[in-house]
Amino acid sequence: MVVLAILLPILFGLLLLLGLPRALGVLGAGLSFLLNLYLFLSHPGGVAHGVQAPLLPGAGVYWAFGLDGLSALFFLTIGLTVFLGALVAQAEGRFLGLALLMEGLLLGLFAARDLLVFYLFFEAALIPALLMLFFYGGERRLRAIYTFLLFTLAGSLPMLAAILAVKALGGSPTFLLEDLLAHPVKGQAAFWVFLGFALAFAVKTPLFPVHAWLPLFHQENHPSGLADALGTLYKVGVFAFFRFAIPLAPEGFYELQGLLLFLAALSALYGAWVAFSAKDFKSLLAYAGVSHMGVAALGVFSGTPEGALGGLYLLAASGVYTGGLFLLAGRLYERLHTLEIGRYRGLAASAPGLAALALFLFLAMVGLPGLSGFPGELMTLLGAYKASPWLTAIAFLSVIAGAAYALTAFQKVFWEEGQRGAEDLKGAEWPFAFLAVAALVLMGVFPGFFVKGLEPLAEAFAKILGGGA
Amino acid sequence: MTLLVLSSFAVALTLVGFFVSVPLFKRLTILGLSLALLSLLFTWGKPFAFGPYQVDGISQVFTLLALLGALWTVGLVRTRRFEFYLLVLYAALGMHLLASTKNLILMLVALEALSLPLYALATWRRGEGLEAALKYFLLGALAAAFFLYGTALHYGATGSLLAGTPGEGPLYALALGLLLVGLGFKVALAPFHFWTPDVYQGSPTPVVLFMATGVKAAAFAALLRVVTPGAPEALSLLIALSVLIGNLAALTQKEAKRLLAYSSIAHAGYMALALYTGNLQALGFYLLTYVLATGLAFAVLSEVSPDRVPLERVKGLFHQDPLLGLGLFVSSLSLLGLPPLAGFWGKYLVFSEAAKAGAWGLLVLALVTSAVSAYYYLALGLAVFQKGAAEAHPRPLARSVALGVALLLLLLGLIPGAVLPALAAG
Repeated sequence: MVVLAILLPILFGLLLLLGLPRALGVLGAGLSFLLNLYLFLSHPGGVAHGVQAPLLPGAGVYWAFGLDGLSALFFLTIGLTVFLGALVAQAEGRFLGLALLMEGLLLGLFAARDLLVFYLFFEAALIPALLMLFFYGGERRLRAIYTFLLFTLAGSLPMLAAILAVKALGGSPTFLLEDLLAHPVKGQAAFWVFLGFALAFAVKTPLFPVHAWLPLFHQENHPSGLADALGTLYKVGVFAFFRFAIPLAPEGFYELQGLLLFLAALSALYGAWVAFSAKDFKSLLAYAGVSHMGVAALGVFSGTPEGALGGLYLLAASGVYTGGLFLLAGRLYERLHTLEIGRYRGLAASAPGLAALALFLFLAMVGLPGLSGFPGELMTLLGAYKASPWLTAIAFLSVIAGAAYALTAFQKVFWEEGQRGAEDLKGAEWPFAFLAVAALVLMGVFPGFFVKGLEPLAEAFAKILGGGA
Repeated sequence: MTLLVLSSFAVALTLVGFFVSVPLFKRLTILGLSLALLSLLFTWGKPFAFGPYQVDGISQVFTLLALLGALWTVGLVRTRRFEFYLLVLYAALGMHLLASTKNLILMLVALEALSLPLYALATWRRGEGLEAALKYFLLGALAAAFFLYGTALHYGATGSLLAGTPGEGPLYALALGLLLVGLGFKVALAPFHFWTPDVYQGSPTPVVLFMATGVKAAAFAALLRVVTPGAPEALSLLIALSVLIGNLAALTQKEAKRLLAYSSIAHAGYMALALYTGNLQALGFYLLTYVLATGLAFAVLSEVSPDRVPLERVKGLFHQDPLLGLGLFVSSLSLLGLPPLAGFWGKYLVFSEAAKAGAWGLLVLALVTSAVSAYYYLALGLAVFQKGAAEAHPRPLARSVALGVALLLLLLGLIPGAVLPALAAG
C-alpha cells in the first residue's frame, strides 16, 4: 500500500514528463490525495503497511518503508497540498510532472524506515526541485540553483559521513531504523555523528544562519507557487532531527542542545523580523517560513513530548497554510503580474472571495485559535517553556511579530484604498479555496484527531532523551 | 578461452583486413569482441591457469569492463580505414592479458601491448592529435620504464616476479613505489595525471571513450594485484592529490572533454580509495558505474562532434535531440553520484569501505571534493537544457544505446544488489 502511494505520483509524473496532457496530472494528484487520505484514516497505529526488501545484500541496506502516525499525517498534508497546487497552478504538463515526481520522492522520504533509503530520497528529491527551478525559474535562477545546491550538498555530505559512522561505530548490522535505534552511538563519537546530521538538517529546517539559500530559491521559482509549495514541504529538517538525528546519537544532542535551542529561537525571531520588512509577497512568505520552522525546531529541540508533538504538528500544518499562501501568491501574480506587496492595494472590493481565502490562510499562519496553526504553536511553546523559559519568551515574540507582518500584508493587499481591481475566484480556484479552508478548520478544531498517531512517537522520543540524561 | 578468441580474431583479421570491405571488417571486429565477451560470461567464476596467464575473478571482472569499452568504441567510430578496428582489437587483447596475470614481466608486456595501439589511435586525426599522441607516447614510455625498474627492484627485494609477494625493507618499498608510478600514469592518478587533459582533448572522442573505460579497467586490475596485500601508505597521498586536483581543476574547464578528463582524474582517486581499502567488490562496482556513465558521456559528445566540444556546443542539445541530451544529463548526475543513479552506489560502497577501514581523513576529503564536483557536473548536465544551437546528427543506434545505458544506470541505481554478488565472485 505504502509503496503504491509512493509510486503513484512518480508514475504519473513520468507520464507527464513524456508529454501527456496536464489533466492527467490533476487526476494523478487527486488519486494520490485520496489514497493518502485513505491511508491516514485507516491507519491502525504503530508502523503499518510496512515492506522490506534487500537493496544491497551484505551491506545491510533495505528498501524498507512503513507508515507510522507521523508519516501518515505528512502523507495526508503532502497529498492535499500537491492536489491543491495541481488544481490551480497555471503551468504546462511537464512542470506538473516534475511536481508529482517530487511528491513521490517526498512521500518516500517520510515513509523510509532505513536510514540510507531516507538519504536516497533526501538527495533524489533535489533533482526535480532543481529542474523545476532551472526550467521554470526567473532570470537569476542559475544563482539560485547554485546557492541552493551549495548549501544542500555542504550539508548532505557530512550527513552521509554520519550515516556511515552511525552504523560503523554503533555496531548495528543493518541501516534499518529499529536496528540502529538498538545500537546508538556512544561517547565522543556521538558528538561528531550528531554534528554531521545536524549540518544537513539545519540547512533543510532551515535554521539561521544556513537559511540563506531559501529566499532566492523562492523568489526565482515558477510564479504559480507550486514549486514553492513543494519547497515548503521539502523542509524536512525538523522531521529528520526528530526521527533520525536525535534518537540515533542522543549523547551528541545533549552537547549541542543549548546551541540548537538558541539558533531555533533566533531563527524564529529573525525570520519574523525580516518578513515584517519584506516588500515582495514571496520573500515575506519565505521568511515567515524561516520563522515558523524556528518555532517548530524549538519544540523538537526541547526534548519534551509536548514540544515535539507541537513542532511536528506545526510542520505538517505549515505545509498546508504556507503552501496555500504560496499558491495564492501565484494566483495574484497571474492577475496582476507583480509580487510587490505595495502594488496590489484594495483588492478586497473587486475580489472578495480571494480576500476571504487569504484571510483564512493568513490567520491560520498567525496561529489564530480554531485554525490549523494554533494547536502546534501552543503545544510547542508549552513544551519549550519547560526546557528554556527565556528562549521560549524570545521565540514567542515571533508569534506576535507574525500577527503584525501577516495582518499588515493583508491590509495592504486587500483593504487599503487603491484603484486596482482583480478578478475574483474562478473555475478550479473555488474547490481549491473550499478544500484549503476545510483543512485549516479541521486541523484547528480537531487537532486531537490528527495527532493521536503522533503521541506515542513523541512519548518514545522523550523517553529516549530522558533515559540518556 | 577469452584469450584464444581475442588473439585468433586479431591475427586472422590482420590478414583478412586487406581483402574485405571496411563495413564488413567492422562487423567482424564486433563479432570477435562479442564472442570474447560471450566466452568470458560462459566461463564466469571458473578460474583457469596456464603458466603466468591466470584467469580469476579479478581478471574476469576487469576484462568484462574493458571489452564493453572496446565494443562501444568500435560501434561509435565512423572511419573508412580498417586499421582502427584492428588496433582496438589488439588493445583489448593487451587489456585482457594485463588483467589476467600476476607476473610482472608479463604485465609489462601486456601494458605495452595495450599502449602501442592506443598511441596510434590517439593520432587518428592529424594536427592537434599528433601533439597529444606524442605527449601520451613519451609519458607512456617513461611509465613503462618506471614499471620495468620497479619490476627489477621487486625481484631484487623478494626474489619473485609475482605481484603481491609480501616483502619488507626500503628496497621493497621503492619497488612498490616505482610500480605504482608506472601504473599511476595509466590510470591517471595525480600527480601523474598531467597528460590526461591534453590527450583527452586532442584525441578523437571514441578513442577517448576507450581510454577512459578500457585502459582504466585493465590498469586498475594490475594496480589491484600490485598494491594488495598491505597497500602502501604512498597510495593515500596519491588518492588525496587525485581527488583534490581532479575536482578543483575541472571547475574552471570550458571544454567538455577536458572537463571529463579532470573528472576522470578525480574518479581515479575514488577508485584508488577502494583499492586502498582492498575491497574488490567496491572497486568493481565503482568501475562498472564509471565505465557506463563516462562512456555514455563520451558517446554523446562524439555524436555532437568527433573533435573539440566546448560547453557552448552542448547547449540546447536536449531541444535538438532529447534522447542524447537526456543521456548526457543522466551520465553527469551519475558521475556526480546523485541517487537514484548507479554512481551513487559506487561512491557509497567506496565511502563505506573507507569508513570501515577507519580512513576518516581520506573519507572526509573524498566527501568534500565530491560536493565540489557538483558544480561542474551540473554545469555540464544542465547545459543540454539551456538555450543554444547544439548540432548533432546521431545515428538511430547511437540514440538507442544512449537510452539503454541511461536506463541501465537508473536500474543499477535502484537494484544495485543485482550485480554485486557477481562482482564478489572474484
